[in-house]
Amino acid sequence: MINTFKKALVAAAITAGAVTSVQAADEVNVAFFLEWATPNMIAKTDGSYADAMGVDVNWVDFTTGTAMTEAMLAGDIDISYSQGLAPFVTAIQQGAPLKMVGIAVVYEANDCFVRNGLGIDSSNASELEGKTVAVPLNTMADFAFRKYMAHYDVDISTMNIVDQAPPDGAKSLADGAVDMACIFGGASAKAAGEVGTPIMSTQAKVDAGIGSFDVVSVTEKFATENPELVKSFLEATDEYNSAFKGTDEQYEIIATAAGMDLETTKSQVDAFILPSNKEQMEQFFGEGGLAAEGAASLGLVFSDESDKEALAKTIDGSFLE
Amino acid sequence: MLESLSDNRASIAAVLILLILAAFVVSLVIGKRQSRLRAKDEVFGDPQRTRGGWYWALLGVCTILLTWFYFSWGVGRAYFPQTANEMCQIAKLDETLSPITARLPIESRYYKSTLLVSRNTTQLETLESSLPVEAFTEQEQTELLALIENSRQLIVNSSDPANLNQEAQVQFEKLSGEIETLSADLRKGSEGLEPTAEALAQPKWGVSSTEIPILPTTSRGVLFDQVASKSEAITAAFVKVRNHIPANDALIADTKERLAALKEANESGSFDEKTTEARNAYVKAVDRIFKRLDDGLIFPSKSLDTINAAITDLHDAKNDAKGNLTLIDAVFFPGKGVVKSKTQCTEQGSARWLPKPTDVVATFGKLANPNLEDGGGYRGFPLLWWKWLPVADVTGFLFPDWIADAWPGEYARHGSDGSIDPNFKDKLLAFAEGEVNLGSIPMLDGHIWDSLFRVLVALALGILLGVPLGLFMGVSKFFKSFFDPLIELYRPVPPLAWAPLILTIFGIKDDGKIFLLFMVAFAIMVISARTGASGTQLSKIRAAHSLGSTDRQIMWNVIFPNALPEILTGIRIAIGVCWGTLVAAEMLAGTTGVGFIENIARTVSDYELIWVTILIMGILGLVFDLMMRWVIDKTIPWRGKG
Repeated sequence: MINTFKKALVAAAITAGAVTSVQAADEVNVAFFLEWATPNMIAKTDGSYADAMGVDVNWVDFTTGTAMTEAMLAGDIDISYSQGLAPFVTAIQQGAPLKMVGIAVVYEANDCFVRNGLGIDSSNASELEGKTVAVPLNTMADFAFRKYMAHYDVDISTMNIVDQAPPDGAKSLADGAVDMACIFGGASAKAAGEVGTPIMSTQAKVDAGIGSFDVVSVTEKFATENPELVKSFLEATDEYNSAFKGTDEQYEIIATAAGMDLETTKSQVDAFILPSNKEQMEQFFGEGGLAAEGAASLGLVFSDESDKEALAKTIDGSFLE
Repeated sequence: MLESLSDNRASIAAVLILLILAAFVVSLVIGKRQSRLRAKDEVFGDPQRTRGGWYWALLGVCTILLTWFYFSWGVGRAYFPQTANEMCQIAKLDETLSPITARLPIESRYYKSTLLVSRNTTQLETLESSLPVEAFTEQEQTELLALIENSRQLIVNSSDPANLNQEAQVQFEKLSGEIETLSADLRKGSEGLEPTAEALAQPKWGVSSTEIPILPTTSRGVLFDQVASKSEAITAAFVKVRNHIPANDALIADTKERLAALKEANESGSFDEKTTEARNAYVKAVDRIFKRLDDGLIFPSKSLDTINAAITDLHDAKNDAKGNLTLIDAVFFPGKGVVKSKTQCTEQGSARWLPKPTDVVATFGKLANPNLEDGGGYRGFPLLWWKWLPVADVTGFLFPDWIADAWPGEYARHGSDGSIDPNFKDKLLAFAEGEVNLGSIPMLDGHIWDSLFRVLVALALGILLGVPLGLFMGVSKFFKSFFDPLIELYRPVPPLAWAPLILTIFGIKDDGKIFLLFMVAFAIMVISARTGASGTQLSKIRAAHSLGSTDRQIMWNVIFPNALPEILTGIRIAIGVCWGTLVAAEMLAGTTGVGFIENIARTVSDYELIWVTILIMGILGLVFDLMMRWVIDKTIPWRGKG
């Protein structure tokens, strides 16, 4: 009796194993962000990715890029779409076996708001020396802050830098507890905009080459074992991006997929720049491209010992060809 | 000195682990013996029985340390310092071979070709059955079905060994031969192989930000490394092999042409919007599957058998060459083992988030170094040090600015020659702002001191205000009824809920953080003092009263001593909760402090730093608690003996 039971158990275990193993080879797990309205959400919704890649595509939503890294290390996620540059660089610095294979979206760098009434703008930015600044340390806003200050030749070491999350920073700016607040996130930026003015205008940021971008990252294992899937994912994304016409119907699908209202979705999508695979090759992944440069200067924000060469080795544009 | 200690942390750990193990055994033996000795003459439940017992404390500490050493791979690194580097070389070999292995039934159950055939056949069937008849003319429908049949024929042709591309066949045999030489290399062993000088000069495992050095440092490692680099060319050649066969070439050309014609018809024809969409989507779907089949990635299963056998043999050879590594890996490196990334090898599993004890001590040493120029401290502040504090800063703090503003007269203006001549009002302002030289006094400084200062000030205020209020609430109807609703209303609210308010009310300086901690400490002190006071035995108070004591004397000599045990327990609890709230308080607007370090470390997943801050807070809490126990022993020796 017990023997039969044991046999049945073993048989069940073997069947279960066989099923999962076949499935594992036949599906791809992709991480994405809710409230991050990228046009390929349309393709995600109608299942086009599965057709394009010839395998089942599971989309799993995350709230932070660090969580994406953890999930990739655990083997639960193969491709992270639109992981922030900051968590990617951090992961590489910790020695995680990941690589950057594409650029998901390019968007305006986070703003630093100077409190109105201080009489400080881009023309006399050096007066910020000795002032108090709220910065969410080790984020893209921190990165933008350093870039702005370097651009205007302001000595950061003279400033009193306070680590504050964006909502707190916006509040402290309104209270007058800080003189400048660097902010990310729509609601906080709006609140800070009520009482402050960005130190750098959108146009000035573009002229100075200060911007942010999110990346498409994959595990080393997945990239070496299934290069054709990585390629077809990037190809499909490129196709869906160029097919995006901006009709109301499309915005509605994106809004539902991203879990936001139509208004916010529209403004977010319109602020995104989606470089085509060809543009990515030319601008980001070539010799001295923006990808390696951005990662290197961001790496220095997190650690003084950041190794530019080591970061560059994890950036691979070959899947875009 | 410190440098060499840091470099030899593995050997230091090896000695330490032996000592801890010895202490573990000794304390266990002593503990057992002592328990046996006293088992008979002790009464269960007697609090006196819990006194002493240092050996059990030692046993507890040893258990924690040994578990920590084991799961952080500290034991593995101490006794097998080269193993991780060797496993890294094996990971290299696995990585370079993975494009080949991924196509063979080695880590999966099927050939990748088999999967491709099954997947595409199913998709072709689905496609066939979902043909939108209303969108296409009859002739087009036949055409589309013929195209699907073409795709199917591609699969059939590719799967037939008789059709196999001669070039591919030759290439496979050549590559199998090359893989066999790799196996032979592995079987030959590592004799005569020497690590390069460059490899030996690498920083040791865990000493620098690179976790495990990537170049091989042992002869066995060199063997695997060499085989790995030789296999690179094989993999590159293997990936390029395609099963292009003449029978398919004609089919492919034909299909391409007919698909193009269909696309053309879609574009030039005038259909309504819905039909166009359906036509485009269907032709695209046919095209897509066709494109997946035209690149010659499907091979007859027989053709891959030689490669499969060669790789299986290579795996066997690898396992033989690994020797005792397999056992060491399984026993001393719990978790997923060593994983290779682009520029280094890293620990995966528990060792990733649990740094080794020696590494934590080294990181602590680096932080504790007060010399900021030498890379010590954190973000421009030492951990715990002292500095000269100008006395003027203190007077400036006590002497408010508005006194200078209120002084009659005007502040000085700059003169026509650009000079400024300060008057008395200016000097008064300089004094109020602390900009005069009054000498300096030594003062503690650093992250730990800042946290400690916040906790201590909050605690002192909590005790000074909370204890008297609590005592009065215990004895007076007015105090009890007036303050009870107030305190009971705010006490249950978690401190973090106050955070947004505190930021607005107090701003970003220390006072907000102290107030948050004070609120926590205050409620606890009030409750404990009140419970202590109201728990005083009535007979004692009546006895004092009948002996002619005044109210003040009853309060000071009867009620207060009676409430003291409760108050002291309250202080112990308040200290613990204050440390617990500190991280939240320093998150409000962090500039310094232990909680601030932890908040920043969290954003970059710097586990060593996180553990350092956890340990600092734990140890400080422990020290405080030990101090409180001593105070309790001295002030209320009668407790528990009534």
